[in-house]
Amino acid sequence: MGFKDVFLQHPERRYIMFGGGGGVGKTTFSAAAAYWLASHGKKVLVFSVDPQASLTDIFKRDIFGKGPVQIMQNLWAQEIDADKHIRAYQQEIRQKILDMYGLPAVPEEIENYIQAASAEPAMEESAMFDAVVDVVMQGDYDYYIYDLVPLGHALYYLSMAKVYDEWINKITELREEMREYEEMVSRLQRKKVTEQDQILQELLYIKNRINTSAGILTDKTKTAFFFVVIPEVGVINDTQKAAKLFAQFDVPLSGYLVNRVIPHELLDKNIPEYLRHRIAMQDQNLLGVRTALGDQVLAMVPEMERDVTGLPMIEKLAAGMFA
Amino acid sequence: MTEEEKASALKRLWQNISDTVYGMAAHDMSRAALRTRASMEHLFILITMGDLLGIPILPPYYSLRLLPYVVPQIATWKRRMLREKDVADAMF
Repeated sequence: MGFKDVFLQHPERRYIMFGGGGGVGKTTFSAAAAYWLASHGKKVLVFSVDPQASLTDIFKRDIFGKGPVQIMQNLWAQEIDADKHIRAYQQEIRQKILDMYGLPAVPEEIENYIQAASAEPAMEESAMFDAVVDVVMQGDYDYYIYDLVPLGHALYYLSMAKVYDEWINKITELREEMREYEEMVSRLQRKKVTEQDQILQELLYIKNRINTSAGILTDKTKTAFFFVVIPEVGVINDTQKAAKLFAQFDVPLSGYLVNRVIPHELLDKNIPEYLRHRIAMQDQNLLGVRTALGDQVLAMVPEMERDVTGLPMIEKLAAGMFA
Repeated sequence: MTEEEKASALKRLWQNISDTVYGMAAHDMSRAALRTRASMEHLFILITMGDLLGIPILPPYYSLRLLPYVVPQIATWKRRMLREKDVADAMF
């Protein structure tokens, strides 16, 4: 089975993700897959949740923090600006406090907390994945292509989602128990039943958001997750370890793509010894890849003669991926 | 005494009786229930806003969503969590 067949056989898998270590070509592959699908008449959004996003470089268009930007017919690209997202979110919280209590300013202690919470390392990941829910909910694209953050972050988020879910169930229980006491007092004092517990509503909302964003990553029917590797021993080993961890979180792995394979045709030409050695070493590694992954390898994409930026180069790469 | 005054006197009498019965039978119960609820409220703030005391518990992105609702309780909660236990605890 080839990479193309995954799309032909499973048109219902509309959330396409590329994962892998740093610098293996996740963003390039995201862009190329988006380009191929768009040029075959599908409406596609390719977006990045990576703070070091490089869709801007690849498409040679400044799209950072600008919402979905149309690149060509059927193809939109978006880079989420996490900092901007967090700032807007903080402001929303402040405004809510001011409105709820009619205060002229947010109390100092509360303001400090808002500042401190936003400086926590988990803040950015949470904000990114939360923003993804909005991206996926709005718009009517046929395909959503994620350029994922490097492996560690994605795993961190998935495990976080699992812990959050249990945690929120627990505090929701506590909240409901509190409500029972409140109702008991109302009955004893013959008062009207108290108004809805707004915190409980918020908790249910949060739970729903977390489950939606984690659900997109783990839904076998709608999601296809591809690992990108390059033919180097270290990268392949790391990715296999990560694949095991991803499997534990029910991420539906659809296969592997090998990037940056030096073309064999070069051997027929007059090339330096140095390059011959590289090709021999690579053959060895590719043999290892084939033994370890077998038919899970969906495509071998050749190393390009120059950087993949701009639509003509993307087209060329896509041709290699979807061969 | 007009009919109206009679009715209102009866109503007052009924109100007094029901208040007395409430005071004898149910007041302690509702007080205990309110106290339990207040303890739970503080527990709830602890597990959602623990960072305010330096105990990180909830992912901060989502704890911020809850912050507006607990703003009024934060001062009493901090006092309660940070105070030393003394004899008065057993009395009130």
